[in-house]
Amino acid sequence: MNTSETSQSIHEQIVTLLPRLRRFARNLTRNPHDADDVVQIAVERALTRLDQWRSDARLDGWMFKIVRNAWIDELRSRGRRAKIFLAAEAGEIVGTDSMARETELLSVQSAMARLPADQREAVSLVLVEGLPYREAAEVLDVPIGTLTSRLARGRQALQALLGTEGEDT
Amino acid sequence: MTISDEILMAYADGELDAAARAAVESAMREDPQIEKRVAAHRTLRRRMQAAYSVELSEGVPERLLRAARAGTSPPQARVVDLQDARAAMERAESRSRPRWPQWRIAGTIAASLIAGVGLGFFMWGQTQAPLMRSAGGALVARGQLAQALSKQLAAEQSRSSAVQIGVSFRAKSGDYCRTFALPGAVSPSGLACLHGEEWQVQTLTQEPGTVGGSGYRTAVSGMSELVLKSVEGQIDGEPLDQAAEKAARQRGWRSMDR
Repeated sequence: MNTSETSQSIHEQIVTLLPRLRRFARNLTRNPHDADDVVQIAVERALTRLDQWRSDARLDGWMFKIVRNAWIDELRSRGRRAKIFLAAEAGEIVGTDSMARETELLSVQSAMARLPADQREAVSLVLVEGLPYREAAEVLDVPIGTLTSRLARGRQALQALLGTEGEDT
Repeated sequence: MTISDEILMAYADGELDAAARAAVESAMREDPQIEKRVAAHRTLRRRMQAAYSVELSEGVPERLLRAARAGTSPPQARVVDLQDARAAMERAESRSRPRWPQWRIAGTIAASLIAGVGLGFFMWGQTQAPLMRSAGGALVARGQLAQALSKQLAAEQSRSSAVQIGVSFRAKSGDYCRTFALPGAVSPSGLACLHGEEWQVQTLTQEPGTVGGSGYRTAVSGMSELVLKSVEGQIDGEPLDQAAEKAARQRGWRSMDR
């Protein structure tokens, strides 16, 4: 009885987390379709592994970690997809990225999208999701010093891109 | 006393213990430059949170809610399992098939997208009639689109061609399939397979190729994710290279073994 009640509430806790999981996944994948796919896979995985979740641990951190691992798995399986893409590129018109870079005032999201993946993950977990350093390092499976140096570099890059100096937004 | 930027960052993030906090605060009092750097860290943190708070109020797709609540009602076989079982039966070497669920429902999405995109498509088609719905209910390529699917080689097309051919491949069904895009304002793209005498449009979508209007392209190229996933779901082996594409065209897109 007790276990089914507990797991029932975990389902609803995960439902409550869904908006944040999607947001984190979007920052990882930079693509909303991929993000939803990865969240779905992660939720399905999490539910089959509830026994691995220590109830004293934060559920959000645990779920972020599963989302991230699902994305890493997906990237691995994209070796073949890359070939399909390359073939498709033949008839592809090249984007106007450099032009946009000059004329577009960067939004926070597009500045984030330009960060290298490791910095983007660190920034996303700490600045967007509000995880303490220790939890964020745990999600990323790195020592805390690695997390803080990625975070510092990510912040520097964002400040350069956004020109936060003296802004009051 | 110099204080590293990482310490200032940790201070702004509330990660320092009392002693370290006191040290930073006294340094801030002495040096306005340090105060300014801390303020910049705080501003960035606020700005990030503000920019990303909007996403939290978005509606969550039904499929994610279902996934999260799965098993709370009497357990059902999950689609993923069914599909895996089917794939295993289909062919023993399907081991490398990616476990990526969205393309499994690509059919459903494609149907609704065809409904949504179709209108613009047919309006565009008033002069050129690129597509027509056949009596059997399948969407069948006609006119310029059919012509391009049958004749045009990806390697030889010019960027001004009315139809851009993307990838060609042999599907598990044995049919040849090709992706296409129609440049222009509506800019639909899709996947068509030659079945019998007809190029049947399997997937049709309208993908701007950018995310959230912020100007960067989808993951690797402008190819629609939906089309890509259809390709992944149907492809047998690898896409055709230039020589194979040319050879397949010469055979009229008929398989050698049929």
